[in-house]
Amino acid sequence: MEFTREIYWNVGHGFTTLGPMYGLLLVALIFFAVGFFKRIAVYRLGQPLNRTDQRGVRLKNVVETALLQTKVFRVPGAGTAHALFFWSFFVLFIGTVLIVIQADFTDLFFGVRFLKGTFYKLFSLTLDLAGLVGLFMLGGLLVRRYLVRPKGLITKGDDALMHFLLFAILITGFCIEGARMAVTELGTPLAGWSPVGFGIALLLSGFQEADLRTLHSTLWWIHLGLAMGFIAVIPYSKFRHIVTTSANAFLSDLGPTGKLTTINLEDEDTEKFGADTITDLSWKDIFDTDACTLCKRCQDRCPAFATDKPLSPMKLITQMGEIAFSDRTSNLLDTITRDAIWSCTTCRACQDICPASIEHVNKIVEMRRNLVLMEGEFPGEEVMTAMEQTEVNGNPLGMGYASRGDWAEDLGIKPLAEDPEVDVLYFVGCYASFDKRNIAVARSFITLCQAAGVKVGILGKEEKCCGEPMRKMGNEYLYQTLAMEMVEVIKGYGVETIVTTCPHCFNTLHKDYRDFDFDVTVIPHVVFLQQLIASGALPVKPLEFACTYHDSCYLGRHNDIYDAPRSVIRSAGGRITEMARHRDQSFCCSAGGGRIMAEEKLGTRMNIKRVQMAADTGTGRLLSNCPFCLTMFEDGIKGADVEEQLRPYDIAEVLAERI
Amino acid sequence: MKILICIKQVPDMESKFKINAEGTWYDRADLAWRMNEYDEYAVEQAIRVKEQVKDADLTVLCIGPDQVTETIKKALAMGCDRGVHIADADSYKREPIEIAAMIAGFAQDKNFDIIFTGMQSQDRGSAQVGVMVAELLGIPAVTTIVDFLYDNGAIQVKRELEGGSKAVVTTATPVLLTCQLGLNTPRYPTLPNIMKAKKKELLTVEANTGGIGRMQETAACYFPEKKGGGLVLEGDVAELADKLIQILKEKTSVLA
Repeated sequence: MEFTREIYWNVGHGFTTLGPMYGLLLVALIFFAVGFFKRIAVYRLGQPLNRTDQRGVRLKNVVETALLQTKVFRVPGAGTAHALFFWSFFVLFIGTVLIVIQADFTDLFFGVRFLKGTFYKLFSLTLDLAGLVGLFMLGGLLVRRYLVRPKGLITKGDDALMHFLLFAILITGFCIEGARMAVTELGTPLAGWSPVGFGIALLLSGFQEADLRTLHSTLWWIHLGLAMGFIAVIPYSKFRHIVTTSANAFLSDLGPTGKLTTINLEDEDTEKFGADTITDLSWKDIFDTDACTLCKRCQDRCPAFATDKPLSPMKLITQMGEIAFSDRTSNLLDTITRDAIWSCTTCRACQDICPASIEHVNKIVEMRRNLVLMEGEFPGEEVMTAMEQTEVNGNPLGMGYASRGDWAEDLGIKPLAEDPEVDVLYFVGCYASFDKRNIAVARSFITLCQAAGVKVGILGKEEKCCGEPMRKMGNEYLYQTLAMEMVEVIKGYGVETIVTTCPHCFNTLHKDYRDFDFDVTVIPHVVFLQQLIASGALPVKPLEFACTYHDSCYLGRHNDIYDAPRSVIRSAGGRITEMARHRDQSFCCSAGGGRIMAEEKLGTRMNIKRVQMAADTGTGRLLSNCPFCLTMFEDGIKGADVEEQLRPYDIAEVLAERI
Repeated sequence: MKILICIKQVPDMESKFKINAEGTWYDRADLAWRMNEYDEYAVEQAIRVKEQVKDADLTVLCIGPDQVTETIKKALAMGCDRGVHIADADSYKREPIEIAAMIAGFAQDKNFDIIFTGMQSQDRGSAQVGVMVAELLGIPAVTTIVDFLYDNGAIQVKRELEGGSKAVVTTATPVLLTCQLGLNTPRYPTLPNIMKAKKKELLTVEANTGGIGRMQETAACYFPEKKGGGLVLEGDVAELADKLIQILKEKTSVLA
């Protein structure tokens, strides 16, 4: 016998079948198109932004993110179930398309049939198994959503509709197959290639053929109706994400990671800065709100949300979406609330994990820009004072600018103004210049450089804040003033390499300054030290110690530097016990996003929570790579009352003790 | 309504101060400059008056070398309408009466309704310029105000007195008011206002004291002599108490 089956068995292949079928499809597609055209009109209200360049890379992102579900897969459990369900449904979709191609085109017009023989056997088996996997995954997701009910998961009518439609489509599909097989395939070798259909056929085998045929044709039309209904409701329900989330993978930010748009302050026609209405944001920002699936991964990782602050990245996107698609004149700042806007530490945990390629951080910074540049508003007076201090003295601590290089006076390190012939320029940063605890880190770093025979220079009193905290707080004007000055000063000395001990300085010089025609190589100290160790220039005498390591947000998620610091720690003899939240899952110290300048008045303290996680490793040492983190941890061990159990250090400090 | 705000550019108090070559004032090298804190309250209060009455014209005046225009621009960015720079590279040598004479000379034919000044400067701290300006112009002055109400020509202010008590003073225009900490929180200039400030009128005029000369001379300026440093006692609480009593007995007369 030939291994194949009659397509349109029992329902017929004449106009009475094809007419209504394609008629329904047309109606569904019209609904689909109208729905999306209406939404596209809303996206277009946003400001222009080019997200269609580098199409090769963008297509690759779609394949990886949407088809291969790489981002979805990052969270086991629900992510695994979604990916498996997606693939099963995708396989079923391809199967259906193959049937349509054969039955309504190749066979109809050319008499060509390819669904036969071994290919048909595999085709039949694959689709049957895909349907089975789909059912199980959908069942699992249903149990999760309606019985387990994970904390923070928002369930709406949409979700019920989706579960109903998908279940109904899969179950009717199997029943149709079972009814057909009960009549045509029971007792043939073909039945084994459709195991699920075979099982159902066995259950139905007691019925008369006429009844089975009635059941089959009835279910066939119901199944068709459900499938068409599914297509039609995509733009009007959360099914929308099939299109928008996939499209967002194409439209995603191609980097550099986390780099903000630089406002053109020279343009005197600009009367408004930042965003206080939805249409001040880009079209991509509005599109993002449509790509959100409420998976809550961002909220689960947000350190502000975890410490009871009024910020949830997911809620923020939802609120923006509601404004975009209902009352577009509403004030973003009032709806989202200033407290939520100021609570963000720009740690990027939300954006990094988002399987829908949504960009949360830049939206928050755009709203902060509006508050600062248009209203002169800050999260507190202390922040305004820090801004003013920076304007006057070039550092948010308010220390006299002329004493910026004092920490290095007895180390044989000179400012470039006195000796510009150096191997590297050490861009010290405000904290390592003025804060006693962090001066110790700067001095350790110099010790290491000198041990490796590297000639280091600093800018001394010519150095000012890189502008990072001010920029993240929304003060683009002050940031640009500082950035332009620093670019001019550094370029004036013609240095080739800059090393930083602050990841915020690193990120700013390395990425943000590129907009000011700045192309000097910038290296974070942990990477620089790793290179010195690897090349043999820095001989280290390892001395065993136990520690845990905190990935700072700006070295980690913002710059993907996870291995270099760990390698340096191991070179020093460190045995790292990782905290549960490490690498890309690291938990912010609370000082990013300019929050180093602000008091943490809402909710509980982020640094105490992080220090507790470190203390729980029982290692006694918390190593990090960032002056803000170190400052927050020194404060956190007191707040958490673990001063006896845990001491925070910079990696450079433990390394300097081992040369 | 016409309002004059007198401001001064002063070094940031966190700066590393050194005595200048003449030994009469601080050296200007390596200093960061900013608007005198008390003058910021004056500027802010003037802007608030304008926001209240709408029809007001704010002139901000500063005496000093060319670099003080940066501080005038800050006041313009905050919301003043026009700036006046009385160019005087040697203003740091001037005594309060000379500064007051320059301001009064500028203001005498302008019919200002209110003149706001800081209650004193952070660097010289004489607290005399404001009242001297009022005297030279023949208008009343109310000093160290911490609260200000304006209602249709009538002004009610609170003055800070010794011991935390306050005095409520009512006055009419024209009047000169010197502003104290606590009066208000000065605003942070918005970017559109910073942009607009660049185009506002900034007039530079010659320094002219109108014949009033200095009445006093700075003989010398020096850091306080370093006296013996503090003593930090460490150890057990009971021992500490004994040590403290010992020291108090030996070195002071409080227990005698």
